Amino acid sequence: MKQKAAFFAISALPLAFGTTTYAQDIPINYSLFGTPGLLEMPSAHTAPEGTLATSLSYQEGLIRATATFQLTNRLSASARYSIVDVYDDPTTNILSDEFERSFDFHYRLNNEGAFLPAFAVGVRDMFTPGRFGSEYVVATKSIGDNLTVTGGIGWGAMGTRDGFSNPFSGLDERPVFDDADSDGQLASDYWFRGDAAAFGGLTYQFNERWGAVAEYSSIAYPEASGSPALDGTSPYNFGVTYRPRPGVQLSLASLYGSEVALSGTFTLNANNRPAMSGIDAAPAPIKARSAAERNEQTWDRTTAPEAGLRAALTALLEIEGLTLTGLEVTDTTARVRYTNGRYRSDAQAMGRVARMMTQVMPNSVQTFTVEPQKRGIPVSAVTFARSDLEDLENRPGAAAALYQRAEFADAGRVDSVPAAQTDDPRFSWGLGPYLTINPFGSNGSVALDTGLSLRGRYEFSPRLVASGAIVQSIVKADADDPTEATSNGIHKVRTNGSFYGDDGVPVLQNLTLSYFGRPGNNLYSRATVGYLERMYGGISTELLWKPVDSPFGLGGELNYIAQRNTDMAFGFDEFEYDVVTGHLSAYYDLGNGIHTQLDVGRYLAGDWGATVSIDREYDNGVRIGAYFTQTEISYDDFGDGSYNKGVRISIPQDFFTGQPTRRSYGTTIRTRSGDGGAQLEVDGRLYGIVRDAHTSDLKDTWGRFWR
Amino acid sequence: MTYNIKHIFWGVILSGLSACGSIGDDGVGAQVADLAVGIVTGRATQAAPAPALASQEEILSNPSNFMRVNIRDLDRWATMVPAATNGSRVTWVDSENITITVEGGIVVATRGMPRDLMGASATQTLAAIRAGGGEAQRTHEFLDDNDQIAQELLQCSIVSKGSDTVNRLGQSLDSQQYEEVCVGTGLQLTNIYWVNGAGRMLRSLQAVSPGAGYVQIDVF
Repeated sequence: MKQKAAFFAISALPLAFGTTTYAQDIPINYSLFGTPGLLEMPSAHTAPEGTLATSLSYQEGLIRATATFQLTNRLSASARYSIVDVYDDPTTNILSDEFERSFDFHYRLNNEGAFLPAFAVGVRDMFTPGRFGSEYVVATKSIGDNLTVTGGIGWGAMGTRDGFSNPFSGLDERPVFDDADSDGQLASDYWFRGDAAAFGGLTYQFNERWGAVAEYSSIAYPEASGSPALDGTSPYNFGVTYRPRPGVQLSLASLYGSEVALSGTFTLNANNRPAMSGIDAAPAPIKARSAAERNEQTWDRTTAPEAGLRAALTALLEIEGLTLTGLEVTDTTARVRYTNGRYRSDAQAMGRVARMMTQVMPNSVQTFTVEPQKRGIPVSAVTFARSDLEDLENRPGAAAALYQRAEFADAGRVDSVPAAQTDDPRFSWGLGPYLTINPFGSNGSVALDTGLSLRGRYEFSPRLVASGAIVQSIVKADADDPTEATSNGIHKVRTNGSFYGDDGVPVLQNLTLSYFGRPGNNLYSRATVGYLERMYGGISTELLWKPVDSPFGLGGELNYIAQRNTDMAFGFDEFEYDVVTGHLSAYYDLGNGIHTQLDVGRYLAGDWGATVSIDREYDNGVRIGAYFTQTEISYDDFGDGSYNKGVRISIPQDFFTGQPTRRSYGTTIRTRSGDGGAQLEVDGRLYGIVRDAHTSDLKDTWGRFWR
Repeated sequence: MTYNIKHIFWGVILSGLSACGSIGDDGVGAQVADLAVGIVTGRATQAAPAPALASQEEILSNPSNFMRVNIRDLDRWATMVPAATNGSRVTWVDSENITITVEGGIVVATRGMPRDLMGASATQTLAAIRAGGGEAQRTHEFLDDNDQIAQELLQCSIVSKGSDTVNRLGQSLDSQQYEEVCVGTGLQLTNIYWVNGAGRMLRSLQAVSPGAGYVQIDVF
């Protein structure tokens, strides 16, 4: 029994990795706005870096859905959809179920100390009209393990109860939003202006699961045109929180003495993958050669004929969900081209190819070159010494050493490697359900669309592919057809989108012929012709320059397109609108997971401008980004939203399941999308395809090479 | 010692059930070996199906060909067979594509487990065991949640805990028991080894990774 005791004694292992930067035993409390806070008021606390919190709260007259992401240890950003009743002008009339989008920032100024509280500043609902627009300075102190105390000063909506004149002189006048002004502009003219008011509250955690919140709210919800039509009579709000398991917070609250609110907040951390390192099946071990075998100089083609190698490697890669597309073997070198349909990490796929090569390659082959192929074109070439694979397997430092010794280079020419015969059928098809959430429905509301999608694909060659999709919507409502195609002289290039395919019959989503090429060193090309997307058809061409080991890429796209008919059949005569669009794009991987893109060019409405995108990408594939587009079109003529902007979130499926797959879940939250700054949507843009197998992205997941 | 017998009994039952697909058909290692030998030489033959259940007789009559593993945190028992040898290291594979690589009985790598042990050094620990105790430095590498290699440098101390009897499959085997306590900056673990008079490791209890926890290994 002695062993048993010893066994259990050590079973509770302190196998902990990483450290937290400051002690915070109390779980972060999320407010009804989906941000760290009390109920309606913020607190100064922040979640650990990389935390994504999605929150849904409901009360009479107000539904809020929020995503909050902790960008750094101190800075967080939130995007929110609200459906809210709003006072009209005059206020006796109430506009019910108004759809609002809002964005927040929150910055913690210091770490909480033994005596010093944490301080934070923030802006809530930062774009016009800002129904909830507020700014605040707040302090929070933890007392013991269970209690936090919060106090702060708010402006804007948070300065509407018993406000006092602005402590910052010269900022006492806060402008009033005029409905004639354009929506969606940064409301910086309003920030920290006008009356300020004090707020505060407490959270108390009884045990791991149950907690309580009490606050004094400085939001009074005054009866004013454009303000939320909510009751703010009493300043006191109370709530109970329940955490059934880590990462879930359910709240029930009494608000302003008259309302009841319910909310649920779900958190995940991009740094803590639920599937940990994944549970992919083990790879084949390296087949190591003996010392004598390593010295062999020639490949005995009679015992291991090339056709045999080809057949064996095809079968071996198939076990790994990889397809051999090209093979070239000499006495001392082997070059393998393949496609990866299984692994999110191209480094992992590469490792598995290399392992399989050790199984079958003649002993005299000393050098392996692997070339990942995407859309029919090879996108990089990585060369290893076979002896490194043998010597480093399962050794500490193997990943770093192999990365150091491997050679990353441009792939060989498309036809430089003899093609492998594949048994893959040239024609493939699939039928499945689809679900899209369209945040720019015809009347500014979110439109849900679901139905069946039939997809087909025919490969004339790996590089020349025809593909199409027919979809049958089963819930889409029949909207009124557009009455005018232009407003303020700008063609409605996107805002008529909801009229497309709303007749209840199957429609042609897309039907294209695409061709990918390698016109030169470090160059990639694409040409796509046909019905490119729901609203436009024509021809789209693209050229990309991207050296394998460079963090920088340059691309150009030129499209000539015409607007399709709203019945989404084959015609183009309904609007008689055609346009030449195109962009010059610069891509830069800044390192530390920050990726940027700048597009400059001409947009769908013929407007000239630029789009800036910035993404935070975790090495495990979680991606959070934001973009905005500014064009020559004036705010007033732009249509709703003033300019195109939004945030996007994408999480790989293997983050949750641990099973290898290249699929991911993603969504984009935009402000209302207008007709200015709109881009063509076309499948197969080059940068996203090429970069996965280039040095920088390979390095991000190089830990998986040996997995 | 009823504990061991009971667990080994369940181990036999469970590994038998989980191996119903047969080791030969499912294991990547076996598939690869078969295909590689068969296809290149143009003699693609179906591998002889591995026994659905490795019986006690089979295990005992094929010394060095079977390893029984209990992955405690995954609540799994597995019977493993050798898949490949690289120098002094042998990689063992089970029927569900988990592999464990050992050097002289010390686990130096795993694949297919949460936060796999991607690589480790074992020579100093082996030397300390041979010397009857001593100090060893080990480097362990794990795959973390962000696909990065997390390296832990461990200072280990190996002490003899005296003689002990290993009871398994109806056999009672004399052994010397050693305990290894390792401490690193983010990690602390204790391994126990049962080594016979010839220096062969019969049984061990080893920490493999923060995700997979401890494995108990019986080498036959």
